[in-house]
Amino acid sequence: MIPGKYRSVSGRAANNVNCGLHLVIQTSSLPEKNKVRFKKVEFKLNKDTSSFPGRLLQHDLERNYSSRQGDHINLVSSSLSSFPILQRSSEEKILYSDRLSLERQKLTVCPIINGEDHLRLLNFQHNFITRIQNISNLQKLISLDLYDNQIEEISGLSTLRCLRVLLLGKNRIKKISNLENLKSLDVLDLHGNQITKIENINHLCELRVLNLARNFLSHVDNLNGLDSLTELNLRHNQITFVRDVDNLPCLQHLFLSFNNISSFDSVSCLADSSSLSDITFDGNPIAQESWYKHTVLQNMMQLRQLDMKRITEEERRMASVLAKKEEEKKRESHKQSLLKEKRRLTINNVARQWDLQQQRVANIATNEDRKDSDSPQDPCQIDGSTLSAFPEETGPLDSGLNNALQGLSVIDTYLVEVDGDTLSLYGSGALESLDRNWSVQTAGMITTVSFTFIEFDEIVQVLPKLKIKFPNSLHLKFKETNLVMLQQFNALAQLRRIDQLTIDPQGNPVVNFTLWKYYVLFRLSHFSMQKINGTEVTQNDMIMAERLFGILAHVASSELPQYRLISILGDARKKQFQYLLESKGKKPGIINEENNDSKRLVGENTNRATLNYTTRDFYNEKLEEIKEKKKFCKTYIEDLVKEATEINMKNEALQKLWPQMFIELVRDAVIEIRNKNSYMKLCLQQITDQK
Amino acid sequence: MAKPKRKTQRHVLTYMEDAVCQLLENREDISQYGIARFFTEYFNSVCQGTHILFREFSFVQATPHNRVSFLRAFWRCFRTVGKNGDLLTMKEYHCLLQLLCPDFPLELTQKAARIVLMDDAMDCLMSFSDFLFAFQIQFYYSEFLDSVAAIYEDLLSGKNPNTVIVPTSSSGQHRQRPALGEAGMLEGVEASLFYQCLENLCDRHKYSCPPPALVKEALSNVQRLTFYGFLMALSKHHGINQALGALPDKGDLMHDPAMDEELERLLLPFLRLAQVPGLVNSVTASPEASCLPSRTPPRVGSPWRPLHHSRKVDGESDGSTEETDESET
Repeated sequence: MIPGKYRSVSGRAANNVNCGLHLVIQTSSLPEKNKVRFKKVEFKLNKDTSSFPGRLLQHDLERNYSSRQGDHINLVSSSLSSFPILQRSSEEKILYSDRLSLERQKLTVCPIINGEDHLRLLNFQHNFITRIQNISNLQKLISLDLYDNQIEEISGLSTLRCLRVLLLGKNRIKKISNLENLKSLDVLDLHGNQITKIENINHLCELRVLNLARNFLSHVDNLNGLDSLTELNLRHNQITFVRDVDNLPCLQHLFLSFNNISSFDSVSCLADSSSLSDITFDGNPIAQESWYKHTVLQNMMQLRQLDMKRITEEERRMASVLAKKEEEKKRESHKQSLLKEKRRLTINNVARQWDLQQQRVANIATNEDRKDSDSPQDPCQIDGSTLSAFPEETGPLDSGLNNALQGLSVIDTYLVEVDGDTLSLYGSGALESLDRNWSVQTAGMITTVSFTFIEFDEIVQVLPKLKIKFPNSLHLKFKETNLVMLQQFNALAQLRRIDQLTIDPQGNPVVNFTLWKYYVLFRLSHFSMQKINGTEVTQNDMIMAERLFGILAHVASSELPQYRLISILGDARKKQFQYLLESKGKKPGIINEENNDSKRLVGENTNRATLNYTTRDFYNEKLEEIKEKKKFCKTYIEDLVKEATEINMKNEALQKLWPQMFIELVRDAVIEIRNKNSYMKLCLQQITDQK
Repeated sequence: MAKPKRKTQRHVLTYMEDAVCQLLENREDISQYGIARFFTEYFNSVCQGTHILFREFSFVQATPHNRVSFLRAFWRCFRTVGKNGDLLTMKEYHCLLQLLCPDFPLELTQKAARIVLMDDAMDCLMSFSDFLFAFQIQFYYSEFLDSVAAIYEDLLSGKNPNTVIVPTSSSGQHRQRPALGEAGMLEGVEASLFYQCLENLCDRHKYSCPPPALVKEALSNVQRLTFYGFLMALSKHHGINQALGALPDKGDLMHDPAMDEELERLLLPFLRLAQVPGLVNSVTASPEASCLPSRTPPRVGSPWRPLHHSRKVDGESDGSTEETDESET
């Protein structure tokens, strides 16, 4: 229960709590005898109250003054000026010497009040007064009530140096001004006006209550100097931010209901005010937020009441717990966004390198004739490139984020990402990551492997590694990998199994071919793929693939000479076994795998096993190697040919000469034997000669 | 020794060299195999025309016989593509060529495409038969065509046609565009003059040329012709095709009963699968081991992969050749 002296006193709006005017009237202690009998209807006051030095009793200002004052007051229009002149009967003057009520008198101007210079309370409520005038003589005035009039400007108060209570609610005041001399002002009520700015009150160092509810204020500042202010009512304005409240050393009650405050940052000065104990925020956007209560409680530990409800210990505890959680979450999401940003930058970098590389290749291909003068920049420059080089499509970055990223001195040229069951590789450097020690669990979970910005020829070389390290990878995705030939799909046959294949058209010209899917299905038929580029593979597709390329397979297997088959298959197998032997040593498991693999290789639809793919580089290497052999063979054959032709020539020559030679042989023989006796002697001599 | 003999001898030498080279390359494998057997097989395959499969381009184009074999192999392997009615781009045809010869140069394919498309809109789709016949001319007579191009250019620019013309590098081909500005009405060159030059060329040329009589026939109907018009006429001429002996006549291009039979046999397991209602294609992929390259086609009863309803397929062939409806019309 609010103690008596703080009981609410209000104008007409006493019963409407919305724009409740909390007037705190400071009263000094009342001597007993000055208790006033309270009469609701009559404007009658106890005599006893006639001499109260500077103190206002609350019911003095009760709205329930009768409006029937005509009995006691005469308003006589004077001939001198246009203002009516007020006259009271002397009885009245004595009875109520220090107070005058002109409520509901249909006044449009302030009347001239003569002979009442000791007046302390003046009530002009519910009239139509447009200007404050003709009261400069009432220099003892302590309370002036002009509630519910049509006053447009604060003026005419400069002589009222004793004024303590000034009630100007429900008028048409646009600006706070002309209060310079009212240094003793205790209560200032300006609710229900058209004030847009707080100004010209910095000298009111005794002001305790300031009511600016139902005005047009959009922000709160300029409150310095109000060293006694304990209550500040700013309800029903359009306030978006609050400042300077920490400069009010005595402020205890602050009412900000029904404004436009949406974040605690806009009222952050409240946290620094040690005197605040009671605050209302209801009707603001901030009150709808999930973090509202605990943020306010956490930031304003001194608070005892929030939105007119006491704050319990429990609530405070909850608030701190929740605030900690918020902090955690924020840190986490900050970290996440940092990571995401880094990822995006890396991918951008990889993409750019890829583009440059492709351009360079294209340049070389097309500029074969002319000198390549416009060669693209060195890729080393990319590593040093900063955020400024990136396209403008980046969303707004936190300033904190930006700072953190500036600290990245080297932006990676590749990216390896594991996201649940997907392994994503960007950039050819990422292929090396396959050598890492992957935990069995992680590796086992991977079912999808995605390659981006990597040359397919390079991927081919690591496929055996992939097979071993990620045995459950069933879905392969290729984007920007330079798949240009159907042949390249042959390389995928060496894997254990593929269920799904996704070839992104971007960067893979092979997708433009009409027959590419059928070729894939044909060559990799032993995998029984289920999906290609997201579409299911139907039986009809398989039939078509077989129909188109079946003969190729048949020719490739049955019409090749045996030795070719062996050599082709031998090559492929050799390469794979080589890798298997190199890696992981001679564990028995691996050896079994070898055998299984070889079986499977054999078991693979072997009529297409001869359709292999060697990367261009390998192929050219091989051709280079063969050149030597070819040269040798050529010379060897030439030698053979020469030899053969020589022999042939000799043979022919012999053929020609042989008849002649034979005849001569025979002739010689016959001549020898013509004379039997001499021949016998000749032979005997030959025999003895030999001995 | 007479010139023709030298020609044939040279080619024999080529094969000898290549055989020895192959021997050297695959020493280990072949040594187990037996050298005599190797040579037998090698020359057998040369005779059959299968020796050029998956060989490097330098070998494929080395001899006319190789070229003919290659053309024939290409036709046999990809006739089905043509039969299917697909129109493909030049790049795709090139891809198919590369399946058989990994380093086949793009240039040749491009030139062939230019013949079909009359040097216009190189991204256009071409039918299999158009491409194949044009490719035949371009590939088999490449050197001849280079010389013809040079002659054509000279004729266009009005030079004396009877001077000795030495074929320049193949870059001569891209001087093809007839200068329409000069002779707006008269395009190309005069046919008879052109033919005379060709005749001279054929006499002198060491490379293979189309039989002059047939060339004359091809030119008989026209007064004037452009270069590509000439090539197109060559490619469409049946007589030249027959003289080459690589490909069947245009009308018969899609027919190859032996291969069709083979294909049907290969397709049987698939068609059987298609007939089984409700059988989704989610079959597991553990392939059966049909042993290493058997010359005999796989038996009908042995499926390439086990099916869910394995009972359905294996062993159910009662030996009769079933007329399976093609589910793909």
